[in-house]
Amino acid sequence: MKTTKTLLSILAVIFTISLYGQTSGKLVSSKSHVKFFSHTSFEDIEANNYTSVGTINTETGDMVFSVPMQGFEFEKSLMQKHFNGNKFLDTKKFPKAKFKGKITNLDQIDFNKDGSYDATVEGDLTIKGETNSINEKGTVVVKGNQIEVQSKFNVTLADYKITFVEGKPSTNIAKTVEISVIADFTKE
Amino acid sequence: MKKRKLIKLVIILIVTGFIIAGGTAFYMFNMPHRNVQKSKSDYSLSSSQIVNEYLTDANAANEKYLSDDGESKILEVRGIVKKISEDFNNQKVVLLQNNGDKAGVSCSFTLETNSDAENLKIGSQVTIKGVIRSGASYDDDLELYENVILEKCDVVK
Repeated sequence: MKTTKTLLSILAVIFTISLYGQTSGKLVSSKSHVKFFSHTSFEDIEANNYTSVGTINTETGDMVFSVPMQGFEFEKSLMQKHFNGNKFLDTKKFPKAKFKGKITNLDQIDFNKDGSYDATVEGDLTIKGETNSINEKGTVVVKGNQIEVQSKFNVTLADYKITFVEGKPSTNIAKTVEISVIADFTKE
Repeated sequence: MKKRKLIKLVIILIVTGFIIAGGTAFYMFNMPHRNVQKSKSDYSLSSSQIVNEYLTDANAANEKYLSDDGESKILEVRGIVKKISEDFNNQKVVLLQNNGDKAGVSCSFTLETNSDAENLKIGSQVTIKGVIRSGASYDDDLELYENVILEKCDVVK
């Protein structure tokens, strides 16, 4: 009985999503900016990605981001090729990175009242097929029917088995890089 | 005398070698990005075709369309304009999705080509050329279908 119920509700959710693209409390964003920043004494490297899709559920705090890895753009073409290559992120084999988590202090955020709220988010980050749990701080800004989510956190490349043992990338890419995320959601 | 000549030759060879290596390295390092619009298209197909290819077998489609170094295939995609929006880089984003399809093709324009996107009308049929960044799939966590993503787009006239 319970399984049938769960199955039915899952079907209902999928059905509603395919019809409207969202369920109650769940917002979808395709307007986002994910930035990768690496600092070493040799050089600063930056890449920008505007192609991610994210969802946030204002009732449960669930948050998901899917990041197409080939959408990262570098100033230098060669860096972009290294980034995508099978020695670094192997984006042909692993085309997307994903974050799946939850806002843990949902009681301190009022999605119906304008303001800037501190948020804590925990969840799983999967890059290049490797998953690590992360616990980070962010900001939720509510303004009218717009919700903007921002966060900045560090990622240690070795945690995702991304390592360079020799050559220029091993000295010029930081072992820990900074990731900034910003995404806009519109309430219906 | 012969020895001096040989040394001279070796020095010239070494210097030339260094110049070529240095030049190549400099060129490689500063190599400009591929100009997608000026490059030849690899495939021409409808938005329904590419979406279906991905939903049927994502691995085979990735193998076919994505490249190791990120310079993936350049596609010309025909479809119906479903939505026009703008991203955080002020680039126009045109969604091509035919009626009844579960997902579409999201095409990000550039600051140079934006004006061509502005002239498009919702519901009209159009062909857009761009480089593929990722394919369509159903994502269990997002609980929705993700679109095929093209960037560096422009309208094919």
